[in-house]
Parts: sequence; structure tokens; C-alpha cells
Amino acid sequence: MSELPDQTTPRNSAIAPQLDPAEQTQTLRFLYSPRTALAGELDRPNPHAKKTTFQPEVVAALQSRFGESVLLVTLYAGEHTVYLTRDVIVDACTFLRDEHGFDYLGDLATVDRFTEDDRFEILYNLVSVVGKKRLRLKVRVDEDDAVLPTIIGVFPAANWHEREAWDMMGIRFEGHPDLRRVFMPEDFAYFPARKDFPTLGIPGSLPLPPRVSDGPVQLDPYPAAHGEKPQD
Amino acid sequence: MSTDVLDNPTATPVPVKAPAPSPPGPGAHDAEVFSFWPRHNAAIYSALEGKHTHIEASDDPLEARMILNLGPQHPATHGVLRVVCRLDGETIEANLLDIGYLHRGVEKLAEGKTYHEFLPYTDRTDYLQPYANNVAWCLAVEKVAGIEVPERALWLRTMLCELARLQAHLLWIGTMVMDAGALSVFLWTFKYREELYTIMDEVAGARFTVSHSRVGGLASDVTPAAMGMIRRFCDDFVVQLADWKKLLNRNRIWIDRNVGIGVVTKEQALVQGFTGPNLRGSGIPHDIRIFEPYLKYDAVDFDVPMRTEGDSLARYFVRVEEMEESVKIIRQCLEKVPEGPIRNDNAKAALPSKDEVYYSMEGMIHDFLQTDVGVAPPAGAESYHAIEGAKGEIGIYIVADGTGSPWRIKMNSPSFKNLQGLEFLMDGAMVADTVVLIGSIDPVMGDADK
Repeated sequence: MSELPDQTTPRNSAIAPQLDPAEQTQTLRFLYSPRTALAGELDRPNPHAKKTTFQPEVVAALQSRFGESVLLVTLYAGEHTVYLTRDVIVDACTFLRDEHGFDYLGDLATVDRFTEDDRFEILYNLVSVVGKKRLRLKVRVDEDDAVLPTIIGVFPAANWHEREAWDMMGIRFEGHPDLRRVFMPEDFAYFPARKDFPTLGIPGSLPLPPRVSDGPVQLDPYPAAHGEKPQD
Repeated sequence: MSTDVLDNPTATPVPVKAPAPSPPGPGAHDAEVFSFWPRHNAAIYSALEGKHTHIEASDDPLEARMILNLGPQHPATHGVLRVVCRLDGETIEANLLDIGYLHRGVEKLAEGKTYHEFLPYTDRTDYLQPYANNVAWCLAVEKVAGIEVPERALWLRTMLCELARLQAHLLWIGTMVMDAGALSVFLWTFKYREELYTIMDEVAGARFTVSHSRVGGLASDVTPAAMGMIRRFCDDFVVQLADWKKLLNRNRIWIDRNVGIGVVTKEQALVQGFTGPNLRGSGIPHDIRIFEPYLKYDAVDFDVPMRTEGDSLARYFVRVEEMEESVKIIRQCLEKVPEGPIRNDNAKAALPSKDEVYYSMEGMIHDFLQTDVGVAPPAGAESYHAIEGAKGEIGIYIVADGTGSPWRIKMNSPSFKNLQGLEFLMDGAMVADTVVLIGSIDPVMGDADK
């Protein structure tokens, strides 16, 4: 969008490796293999970029307030993303709410990066309704320590969102008053949005109704797929 | 649960909690009999027991305390919503909503599909306004891949999104008035919903699950015949809407049933995360069409209806006035829609037209590549795009990994957020009002459960 200023923030190569301009001919390569960004592609003005998501002042304020705890700032499609350490996320939310008018929690999302370190990403999509601002905060946690402090104290609307993150991705939120699963039943023992959860499901993970009214309970949701004949 | 399943090394099991000693809720005496998800129900009842609310519990000399399960199979819950209420006489002391009965895991499904293949799934999330979901998905993909959309397609999408809003609001007003006890409005609104289906049939070739929008544009152009149908619909509809307003706006039964019910203050609405008309009914003029203008909403003239009372009646007025504004937008779109292409001409960004596919080798190759792989945003690209659907902000967050299918998508569904607010709103309400409150919040379970 033309109103947006030049996007000069350098991108971190660990997040999106870029090719140098000499290799730009790769557009003609077959697209089955993952495509890396062409030089400059990630910083190109986006036709759908919004003014609300470009917030250099707020990012600068976060950097001066939290210093070392702001790990990285990225910009793609005119959207600022601020990577924070886990211990300051509640303070950062409070700071943004009180000092910069971010009074509405737009969304809370999780990403499974499926990497050795920092496997899970938790995103906070904060909105300032009056100030017309939107900012994304990100926290990364390891798989064996997927715990975050809850932000319910700052945004009570995070309640169900955090429950969803626990249910789908298995990220625990310390201090959450009622961290139950939200979509899956409590008896379910897995986290279905994780990359290692099979799309076909895990046989026996949920009991199904008997095929006949007084028959045995069907433990395998996909008996035919696992070489069994369905019971009559 | 069999142990070999728990031994599966790839999944991380939930630490097994000690089972609740005696579930306080109904059905406890059936504990020996098979029940489907015993831990699930035990968890709900114990959470309900310990829920902290702003309602003061009184003594119970009349033994009026009971736990009431409403749904999931109940016509007034608009789908498969389960409401577990702890009652004190007729007052709801505390309640918990149990959702997920329509969970299909569309976010996970998207990870195995190309960006185009996933489009029909979006019809089925909020199935009352399929077109808006199609557009939300396409805009999200276009943003993450940086694809431009031609002017005509933007105008047509704007118009059809507003028709989708009418679709959703027509169903809402019909069922809402029916929940309050009057049947006739339901029959009238469904007549006009039917006309909208006919229009969608003419536009997209499908009445309900339209899947008409495409990444980079539209699947097919809107014919002059369809434009005529939309124009005639608008003319008829405004007359009808005025009649319905005459019936309801000063109807004593309707007003008594709604005024002062489920009041949410301005601060509460923001803090509890309401969205869409529910937020605007509480005096917050937050509308994505104004907040982050997309499509052609910055080129049309319309108002954002708002009320400050925050009760069920205010939410009714907001939605009815929104329908009038939608007609206004549709009429402007009919006036202003330019001639031109309906899809991006870049073969790397959008499907080629059928003429190209049938009559040129390159078109055939591009069609094949688009169908097979489709658009491939660069690895590491991520973006969030939101539109204002009939229920509120429909946002889609996409993380791309450089292949033709997304690494991860997250749908920010308005009904999910509104239902969370409903849980807050129903504490302290009367049992008889639950049905009206559910109706006034206007949830769609396909949207909330994803």
C-alpha cells in the first residue's frame, strides 16, 4: 500500500531465509519443493496491507521498555510482529493496555514449528479499538517446557483462547482458573493440532457407540482402515 | 483406553488426573453403566461447582438448587451448544458452556490441502453466510501471498458479502423472534432467504455452499441477469424490512421480552471479547469494515449502526439497522461495479480462465499447476487478515512454509468469542431468558467449533 512508509526493518534470516539476487531465476523451478523468498520479496508492499498493523512507535516503545526481552521484530505484509521472552508477556500486555490503549484481545493462536528448540509459538493479537492499532506479540516455548503465564488478569477474554491452545496444542497456562479442554472431551489424551498427530486419528482414542444397541463398544473409530471387519 | 495407545511415543498424553470422587451432577448414579466421556462430564460439574461468579449464593431452605443441562440437542441452542447451569430456583447462579460437538478440525485439515482445495471447507464453518467465509479465506491467502485482485472482483465480492450478511441476519431475526415465541416472522424471513439462495444459485451455481470466490478473484462473472435479480431483491426487501420493523419495533411483547435482558456494559463488552453486532450493541463502534477497510468498503457510503443500551433489544436494533445498511451498500455496488477482468491475470497467482485452458497449451499447463500446487507463498511468510462477517470479526492467520499448502492456519471465529461472552452474560440471568439470550448473541456452532 502506498501510504505505508518504507519497510526498512531487516528480517531475521533464521525465520525466512532469502536468496541473494543472483539466484533470482528460481521462480522457474518446480514448485513441489518448498519455495524460499526471493530477495526483496518479503519486503515488497502488499496489496492487502492495512494501516492498523504497521506500528513502529509501539514497537519502539516496547523495545525501550523491555530491552533485552524483545528478541526480534519482524515485518511482513505491513504487519509488525514482536517476539518476546516468556517472562515478560504479562507485563507487555499490561504495558500495551495501559500505555498504548490496546484494550481488546483480538485472538490468541498457536503454531507448532516442529523444531528441536522453541517448538511452539504462541501469538497474541492485540487491538486498540479507539487508536486503530493492531499488534502481534509472539512467544516461543520448548516442547518439554510448554508453559506460559496466563494473561487472563489483563484480558479476561483470553480464557477460552488459552483453553483452546491447551486443547489443540498442549500448551499450559499457569494461573488459568479453569484450564479444561474446550473442543475435545476431557477423556481425550492427545493434542490434535500438533504436527505429529495423525490426520486419520488414533485408533481407540475415543470410544464410539456400539454398532447395535446392546453390542460391545466400538473402540476403534476406523476398524476397516486397520484391517478389521465391522461388527454387525 | 488401551495401554498400547498410551505407549505411543509420538503423542504426549495428558497427565491422568485422579477421577473426581463423586461427580456432583446428574447421572452420578449411572457411574457403573457405560457413559461416553465420564471424565469430561465430571470435569464440567466440578468446574461448575467451583466457578467464581458475581452472583451471591444464598441459603437453600427450599432446596431449590439444581443443575440443568440444556442441549446439545435442543432446538433453541441453534445447533449443538450445551449449557450446563447451576440454578437457584429460576436464577442461573453459574453456568458453563460445553462446545465442540461440531468440531471437525478444519485448521488441521487445511494443513494437508492446497490453498484452493481448502476453500469449500470454509463454506462449512459459518454455514449461514458461506460467501463471507470464502472471501475471508481468499483475502487471507491473497495477503500472505501478496496477490492483487482486479477492481471488478473486489466490487462483486463486496456486494456478495453484503448479501451473505443479509442471509445470516435473516436467519437470526427469524429464529430469534421464534425463540421469543412468535412464529410468523420466521416464515417471512425464510421466504427472503430463499430468494437469496436463488440469487446465489444464479451467481455461483450452488444455493448453499457457494465456494464462488477464488484466490485472486472470482470463479465466474456475475451475469446481468443475476444483477437484475439482486436489484429486484433489494427493492422488495426494503419494503418487507419496513413492515417487519413496524411489527416488531414497537411491539409490546417483543420489547418486554428483550429490554433489559442480558445487559453488557461498554467496558464489559470489550474485556469479555465480544465481537460484531454484540459489541456495537454495547456502544463500541468497532467494525472491521471501518477499522481496516478491505475490498471496496472505503469507496461506499454506509453507517455503522450502534446502540448504547447493551441489552438484547439493542442487539436486535443493531442487526436490523445493519440489514438496511447492507441494502444501501449493495445498491451502491450495483451502481459502481466496473467492467473488467474478474481474476488476476498472473498465471502464478490465480487460475487461468477456461478459454485459456481449452485453447492454449500454456493455459493448460498453468491450470494444471494451479490445481495441483496452487499459490505458494514464500517460506516464513505469515499474515492475519480479518473481515467483518455478520457475527463479527472473521480473521484467518496463515503461516506459509513455501509449499502449496499452509503450514498452519488459525481461524479467529466470531461465534467462539461471542459464546465466551455468553457464558459471562448468563450468570445471574433467569432460566426463561436463556433462550432469548442465546438468540440475541447469535452463535453458529459450525463457526465456534471449527
